[in-house]
Amino acid sequence: MRDYAQRLIAYAAQQNQSSGQDHPAAFGVCEKLREPLASLSGLNGFRSLLSRALALAGDEVRWLRAVHIKADGSLECPAEMSELDQKEISDGENALVAQLLGLLVTFIGEPLTLSLVREVWPGAPFNETASKKKESNQIT
Amino acid sequence: MKKHKKATTPKEPLSKARVPIRKLPTGVRGLDEIAGGGIPEFSFNMIAGMPGCGKTTLAHQFVFANATPKKPAIYFTVLGEPALKMLRYQQQYSFFDESKLASKAIRFLNLSDVVLEKDLNAVLEEIMKQVTALNPSIVVVDSFRTVVRKAYSGATEVEMQSFIHRLSQFLASWQATTFLVGEYVEEEIRDNPLFTFVDGIFWLSQVPERNSVVRKLQIMKLRGQASVPGLHTIRISDTGLQAFSRTLGLLGTKTKPARRRRLSLGIPDLDKMLGGGILEGDSLLVAGPSGTGKSALATQFIAEGLRHGEPAIMAIFEERPQGYTDRANTFGLNLKSPQQTGKLEILYLRPLDLSVDETMQAILDAIKRVGAKRLVIDSLVGFEMALAPGFRADFRESLYRMIGALTGAGITILSTVEVEDSFTELQFSHYAISFLTDDIIRLRYVEIDGQLRKILVVVKMRGGNHSKDIREYVITAKGMVVIHPRRTDYYGLITGIPQRTGPRKAQENEAAPEPKATK
Repeated sequence: MRDYAQRLIAYAAQQNQSSGQDHPAAFGVCEKLREPLASLSGLNGFRSLLSRALALAGDEVRWLRAVHIKADGSLECPAEMSELDQKEISDGENALVAQLLGLLVTFIGEPLTLSLVREVWPGAPFNETASKKKESNQIT
Repeated sequence: MKKHKKATTPKEPLSKARVPIRKLPTGVRGLDEIAGGGIPEFSFNMIAGMPGCGKTTLAHQFVFANATPKKPAIYFTVLGEPALKMLRYQQQYSFFDESKLASKAIRFLNLSDVVLEKDLNAVLEEIMKQVTALNPSIVVVDSFRTVVRKAYSGATEVEMQSFIHRLSQFLASWQATTFLVGEYVEEEIRDNPLFTFVDGIFWLSQVPERNSVVRKLQIMKLRGQASVPGLHTIRISDTGLQAFSRTLGLLGTKTKPARRRRLSLGIPDLDKMLGGGILEGDSLLVAGPSGTGKSALATQFIAEGLRHGEPAIMAIFEERPQGYTDRANTFGLNLKSPQQTGKLEILYLRPLDLSVDETMQAILDAIKRVGAKRLVIDSLVGFEMALAPGFRADFRESLYRMIGALTGAGITILSTVEVEDSFTELQFSHYAISFLTDDIIRLRYVEIDGQLRKILVVVKMRGGNHSKDIREYVITAKGMVVIHPRRTDYYGLITGIPQRTGPRKAQENEAAPEPKATK
């Protein structure tokens, strides 16, 4: 799942560059997933899911604990982020997206999660998660 | 005299002008037949009942059975089960097809935020917005009850009625077949205007009966078509909901042929007693106490049919199939080969907690599979005992319907029933089932010359004359064999303790007439 998350973030980052957005690509991924997920389970449902993903990812990458979910479901960057190096940021991004996708896989299964991702990024050049490659679903 | 112009019957022009209503498959096995062919297209329906009855599953089955990318479905979820959980659980059923979600044939949309934060008008606007944008053929609102409950807190009854009215009008105009799903109790039907607005009401219930739980479905209303009235058993399994019509799907089955053959039971002397055999499409009841050879007779009846190319089903409730094949072997009858070639199925049914309709459905499915011409039910007592207590009350009614329909379709049925021998009278059955049989053969024990022997008599034969003789029979290595002509040297045979009418003939150590059948 982490590998899948990484590729998804990279793909989203490319798109962000082309559209001139400057927040972390992982936040953009969550932002993009907000609409289909909120239409599926309501904005509160999406916020609950994201807060769970953030809590799980926060156990792995400390700076994520300072990330705040706003009322509209978007993520607010913590002030300390400017002090982080690129690897720390990247680890946090990967962990967050991997946990969010992992939760979706747990709840609705891989095929539906993938179709949801494909709906948001129709041109994404990957169509299987780590579990399809016989890798563990667990974030290690 | 002025001739009266013949009045034109309004029937013809009307029937020509009648608008055709397409019926959509429900996706639930057995429910189309109960609904009178399916769900009327563009109808506005309610699936109601207490929690845990299968309302959401029923709605999902309908949606998955009908939604296509060209005729998509919108499934609005409101405050009840969140869509993520719904998808998690519903995908466990075999009808769930994730490609329908990927292809946008089915979309799940959450209305919770609108319902929580806004009023009924906003809810209606959101539904209208989505329907206008996506042009669905099917719309489900689950749970509609939560919409109404929330709305009632801030809206008047008139506003509520207006909301339902506008919603139903809009969805019908947009050519959507709609299901509102909600938790309701029966007492609400009378006072809740919603039940007046809807075209169809599918009421699901779950009733505990001692240790069993019985799920039932009732179509309380379905405008424009004749649904099957009454309570129908439903079961939820891996395949989703399955409904078992009270009519067992047997409405409109063909009737008995005018000229019916006589079928051999495989016991020549008994065939003669029956006037040449049992009439094709008859229901024959073989009644007798334990050990008198009812199952042996049933086996011979089936084997004889197979010999003449007639596929068969044996529905057995007491003995295991292996016992049946072993017994047949001792009689020189091979039941294994026809099972392998699909000409015979032995259904061993011990369906504790199953309903009578489900059990009968299993028999009917098997009959269809093999194209059976002969059916054995061994025994009716075992059948009844195998059912959950709550279903036993329905047993005779359902049995009557099944036997009536099957014999009507030309299938010949032999049922066995165990009766205790009384030594004062001849009981046909303690069981008030003789009304559903055309023919009755009674087996019983009788004491003769210090031996416990067996006699049989044809008690009833609806289709013609039959022998009135009381005949002795034995179970040999060839099965049941009728021996001796009728006995005139005794009276009171049917009491089981006959009396000799004349002096006892001298006899030398009379051997038992019944050699032990060997395996």
